[in-house]
Amino acid sequence: MAQEEKIDSIGLLDENELAYFVAHANELEHPREMVIDVLRAIQKNHGWVPDEGVELTATILRLEPIEVEEVATFYDKIFRRPVGRYPIHVCDSICCWSNGGQELAEQFKQQLGIEFGQTTEDGLFTLLPSCCLGVCGCAPAVMIHQQHYGPLSREDVGELINRLRREASA
Amino acid sequence: MPTLTIDNQQVTVEDGTTVLEAAEQLGIVIPHFCYHKALGAVGACRMCAVTVHEGTFKGLKMSCLIKVEEGMVVTTDDAKSVVFRERVSEWLMLNHPHDCPVCDEGGECQLQEMTIASGHGVRRYEGQKRTYNNQQLGPFIAQEMNRCIQCYRCVRTYKDYCGGKDFGVMGSRNRVFFGRFKDGPLESDFSGNIVDACPTGVFTDKTFRFKSRFWDLQEAPSICPHCSLGCSTVPAGRYGELQRVRSSVNEKVNGFFICDRGRFGSSYANHPERPRQASRGQWKLTRDEALVQLDSKVRELIRQHGPEAVLLLGSNRASLETNWMLQRWAEKIGCRAPLLSAHLPRHLAAQVAAFDLADRLASLEKIRQSDLVVLLGVDPLAEAPMLAVALRQAVKKGGQVLAYDPRSIELPCVFEQQSMSPLQLLELLDQDKSPESGRLLDLLKKAESPVLVPGGDLLGAGGLLRVQKLAVVASNQTRSCLVHPVLAGPNSFGCGLLSLPEQDDLLTQLESGRIKMLVCVETDPLLEAPNGERFAKALSRLEELAVLDYLPTLISAHTKLFIPTSAPVEAAGTFVNNEGRQQLFVPVMEPRLPIAVTGSGSHPPREFLPEAPGSDPRPAWQLLQQLLGEEVELAQLRERMKTAVPRLIDFDKLQPGGVFCRVSDADERSCYADEISAQPAGSLQLVVSPARYGSDLLSRFSEKLKPRFTDACLQLHPQDAAERGLDDGMKVALKTDCGEYYLTLRCVEGVATGCAVVENGPAFPQLVPGGKLGFCQVAAGGRHD
Repeated sequence: MAQEEKIDSIGLLDENELAYFVAHANELEHPREMVIDVLRAIQKNHGWVPDEGVELTATILRLEPIEVEEVATFYDKIFRRPVGRYPIHVCDSICCWSNGGQELAEQFKQQLGIEFGQTTEDGLFTLLPSCCLGVCGCAPAVMIHQQHYGPLSREDVGELINRLRREASA
Repeated sequence: MPTLTIDNQQVTVEDGTTVLEAAEQLGIVIPHFCYHKALGAVGACRMCAVTVHEGTFKGLKMSCLIKVEEGMVVTTDDAKSVVFRERVSEWLMLNHPHDCPVCDEGGECQLQEMTIASGHGVRRYEGQKRTYNNQQLGPFIAQEMNRCIQCYRCVRTYKDYCGGKDFGVMGSRNRVFFGRFKDGPLESDFSGNIVDACPTGVFTDKTFRFKSRFWDLQEAPSICPHCSLGCSTVPAGRYGELQRVRSSVNEKVNGFFICDRGRFGSSYANHPERPRQASRGQWKLTRDEALVQLDSKVRELIRQHGPEAVLLLGSNRASLETNWMLQRWAEKIGCRAPLLSAHLPRHLAAQVAAFDLADRLASLEKIRQSDLVVLLGVDPLAEAPMLAVALRQAVKKGGQVLAYDPRSIELPCVFEQQSMSPLQLLELLDQDKSPESGRLLDLLKKAESPVLVPGGDLLGAGGLLRVQKLAVVASNQTRSCLVHPVLAGPNSFGCGLLSLPEQDDLLTQLESGRIKMLVCVETDPLLEAPNGERFAKALSRLEELAVLDYLPTLISAHTKLFIPTSAPVEAAGTFVNNEGRQQLFVPVMEPRLPIAVTGSGSHPPREFLPEAPGSDPRPAWQLLQQLLGEEVELAQLRERMKTAVPRLIDFDKLQPGGVFCRVSDADERSCYADEISAQPAGSLQLVVSPARYGSDLLSRFSEKLKPRFTDACLQLHPQDAAERGLDDGMKVALKTDCGEYYLTLRCVEGVATGCAVVENGPAFPQLVPGGKLGFCQVAAGGRHD
């Protein structure tokens, strides 16, 4: 067996996180079950998961990179490409759709000047369609990081964008 | 055994059969993609819909998932099922390009067939198609993801069945992508199987890309000649060139798949230097002239020097027919019985397999079903690759695999390895000398269907006899402990079977000086036997050396008379595999110079000849027939052979491409007395292992496999290296009985202490696996080259 080498987290995870994941990976019968946790931690620190992040996760959990990639690419909330500081997931499922979800999406597109899948030039916002966010009671809704917003009206959209812009420049 | 009705026809099938399989037994082919006999059903493609009228679940059902029931009534051709399948086909074709004429799969594409069969002909979808960027997957496999229909067969083959690690499925919904994490060559030794498994043109054979349409190929059922397992294959040739090999089905042997060595190691038949005309030195001869010269020279030398002066040499690359005809020719000319191998230890091991183990041989299928397989000195990926895949199936079913070996072994499944030097291995088998023996015997006795897999190369005949004793002890009244011996070549077992009990060592014979003439049939002692250098010296003392072969081997430098023979793909013949299965192959194509060569890339020369250039080679058994003056049909020859060798199966009962049968049992021979010389102080046990690619001569002469050839190195356990003051990557000198060699050191944890491991392959052909247990010295130092 190769000697236990120290894992270099190349700035994607801090020392404590790395130590935590390595320790847990050694305890678990199937370290694979932590794939999402490690990817989410990397995404939180780095904004998205670069190839090195997939490889790092594989090293920590003693998996093949492809096994991590299979999970990382399956979920649309794990970003394998750079995104803006505020990725906006606009729900396009049935409840939001019947409550003006399409118009809401149009509002975001108009006010940010981007299409789905694009990022604003200032690098602040990325607009993404999403399947049901699980907050049908607040339709039409969006999700930014782990926070839900809804129901949103035309005015709410402008206000939300401005608030986030102010937050970013603070 | 339920009886059911499918399309108004009744059929009685085994319990647990699916409707799809039951229909197949009636000759009704229900269209399907994701179902594959080896991979099982997943119900993903929705193509195999049928209507169940009577049964627990009525209505439109996926026939690959529904198990048969007594009294079930099923229709496959009712309007509902037919329309459903047509719609599924249309939906699968939504994103599929409509460019079959430029697709390499065209003509042998299951999607093409099923689309036409299901009646979908006009595309209604006018939207944009989903497209992908393809990956570069190395020298063997080309990828065109746009053609994908998401049946998951590739990943189920590569990862689930064969145990490859670097391939998977990424993305979700209509974006799923089958490939690697990043561009790069597929690492599995069974990567080529995804070409066969893919029902459309996503994965195609890169070495065969745009060479031929399927319907232009000459194909025939054949047996893979690359190792002793004898997997079923279908090689394909065109214009004199062997263009590709695909796997065939033999449920007792390889199942449905083959390894990359067998698949991509076929271009030896097209080797640019392959000799295709008979010659004496510089002089070109016709086949008939050469045979006359051979015959008269043999007779002349026997007359002058007596019967001992001429020695005939058969080989495990040559068919059973060839080896047997050689024996008959020897009888006729009155020389001594031919040696059927230049490599005596390997040949003795094959004899033990063919006689002493004959009553307890296990097929690969038995291994797949076994609950305990014990590898004794076998590295499956190097010696018998499909064995590794069989082991994986055993493990997947809950079986256990134990490996005792001096090398660091990799397997595509979970297994337990115990590093053990060759001497320790023999002690383990001696049962009372090693503490591990007790545990092994306990495990074997407890197992329901244990199989021992000894390596003939590493254990030798003595080791195999010990394995037989162990198997006897581990057997009980209800079940026998079976053995699956891994041998050296495709017909090692056959040569062992034909061989007389007493066999002399070829080298000793040659060095005695009594031999004036040697006739080598499809073998090269310089490359296929230990002590190549001593052989070279001995050969140069011969008055006459005649070689019959289809490879441009080293021995041609010493050859006086050369007669070309046809390669296995150009001849009919029989190989007996490592578990005694008598397997027939038929010619795929005629021997001739490939048009690619005669035309050197352009149009072939516009000459009109009665025979194609380079069409002189004949099967060796045919040449020997000519020498014997009896030219009969192959069937008649085989009948005579069967009469002379009663253990063989009646050839009438065997069908090329079939499952075949094992030859009958024989009395034990136990002719081998094994002598283990004392280990010199400070020495290491020398372990010569075949490299995964290029150790057998056929793969060594296959251009296509070159990307998989590895550099030569010497492997030591880090502890042994440290004791000698050696570091990883250093140049070291290896002193053996055969000579001194300079190699790069690699420290490998999995190597047994006290052992030095070298791999025989294109980069290091000097030491040949399967020799007598030898010792060596390793020290720092190397030539400056």
